Amino acid sequence: MTTPTPKEIKAIADVAGVPVSNEVATRIAGSIGPAFEGFAAIAGTLPFDLEPSTFMLAQTAGARK
Amino acid sequence: MSTEPALMPLVALAKAIADKKISSREATKSCLDRTAQWQSRLNAFMTIETDEALKAAGQADAALAKGNSRGALHGVPLAHKDMYYDAGKVVTCGSKIRRDFVATTTSTALQRLKDAGTVRLGSLQMAEFAYGPTGHNAHFGAVHNPWNIDHITGGSSSGSGAAVAARLTSAALGSDTGGSVRMPAHFCGVTGLKTTVGRVSRAGAMPLSQSLDTVGPLAQSAEDCALLLGLMAGADPEDPTAIAGALPDYMAATKRPMQGITIGVPTAFYVDDLDGEVARVLDETIATLKREGAAIVKVELPDQRQLSSASQLVLAVEAAAFHKRWMIERPQDYGPQVLMRLQNGLAVPAVSYLEAMRWRGAALSAHAAATAGVDAVIAPVSPIPAPTIVESDVGNSLEADAVLPRITRFTRPVNYLGVPALSIPCGFTRSGLPVGLQLIGRSFDEATLLRIGAAFQRATDFHARVPKAA
Repeated sequence: MTTPTPKEIKAIADVAGVPVSNEVATRIAGSIGPAFEGFAAIAGTLPFDLEPSTFMLAQTAGARK
Repeated sequence: MSTEPALMPLVALAKAIADKKISSREATKSCLDRTAQWQSRLNAFMTIETDEALKAAGQADAALAKGNSRGALHGVPLAHKDMYYDAGKVVTCGSKIRRDFVATTTSTALQRLKDAGTVRLGSLQMAEFAYGPTGHNAHFGAVHNPWNIDHITGGSSSGSGAAVAARLTSAALGSDTGGSVRMPAHFCGVTGLKTTVGRVSRAGAMPLSQSLDTVGPLAQSAEDCALLLGLMAGADPEDPTAIAGALPDYMAATKRPMQGITIGVPTAFYVDDLDGEVARVLDETIATLKREGAAIVKVELPDQRQLSSASQLVLAVEAAAFHKRWMIERPQDYGPQVLMRLQNGLAVPAVSYLEAMRWRGAALSAHAAATAGVDAVIAPVSPIPAPTIVESDVGNSLEADAVLPRITRFTRPVNYLGVPALSIPCGFTRSGLPVGLQLIGRSFDEATLLRIGAAFQRATDFHARVPKAA
């Protein structure tokens, strides 16, 4: 996963209906960038069948042990 | 143990009132007197409701005199983070936007404590919309640490941490989405329980991130937290994410010994780049746990940085979604730092957010496998003791920008995994600031954490120390 660039962030924010200035987009890229970098090894690698509700299954499985 | 009511732990205070050794009015007045003494220096309370509290305490005493006890906390005065809806009361959420918001419902967690008989002292300060880890608040001012008022309390449950530490209330609700119960507990020297996602209903609690938000208490001791959790936990028709099923006897768990417990010490991440005094306290605490009968083993945890990053992606998006309308209509009414954090969520594509959500179950399974041989993992809450208010004021300096990610480094993985964690006072720095450590447990196994915490607190007195009023 690559960190969105300020230009991409500006476009995403526009689509979301909360436009931001170039300056704010640049600040956001610097602030959220480390989270994208930290998750990069996972992004794009998940098995096809994995869905968010597996979290609840993992919770109850863990609680049973 | 002190006989000044405000200084008593919650469990002892509740028993003293039930046994009519102390009246609710005496207890309430004691808390209000201490609040009058401390408030100007701490800024811990959002509102102080002196007349209403004394009136309610008088009614509690009258009811008890007639043999009518409402429950386990009959007549006990408490105050909570100002994000728990209480019908008819202003609930600011620490914000300008909700400065005049009057709740029309009462949160389930709060209602369950009220049903047990509590008396409301007022409401406690917090970070704006619970979105800040230090205790700064652009609208209502910073909350100050009772151990040294130049230092932060941690956030976002800043008022809860300060008020419990200074014994203005014997316990307080906080909330933990990225560490907001554990950080104030660590920085202020009190006990704080981050509950499992699904353990306590969030109905009527201000939302920040629906996947990560948890309700939890801050109090003097693990035993006090056990009492509160037992009253609040369980299914709720108003919150379908609150899990049904039989609840453990949390108070009974706190009576069990340390013997038979195995505690894991991480080999990496949580032991890296620690402040020297935090490292010393960690070593001393491990030695105490061992001396009290716990087996200590090393554990290799999965990559915690990935968990922290996933947590940040989820939180950023969900917080931005909750706040989108106000970000469009009232951006000028947010504090600048909170608006900046909310804007971060605009940068995360939906696919990235959903990848972070899809991975959560697999990450929890991997964590459970890595910790299968232990009852809990011990780790610092933060690599550092409380920084000063000035040095952690983001935007004040480049150094401040580096402080915040460091403060929250050790708390976010727990939120992503949704598991419980208990922060307990474990020592003090040479300059007198508290240091807390967190015990990280299995999903829905708060009972074991409370057992370990209570056994540790029977062997130490860090949780019983009280900051001196100037």
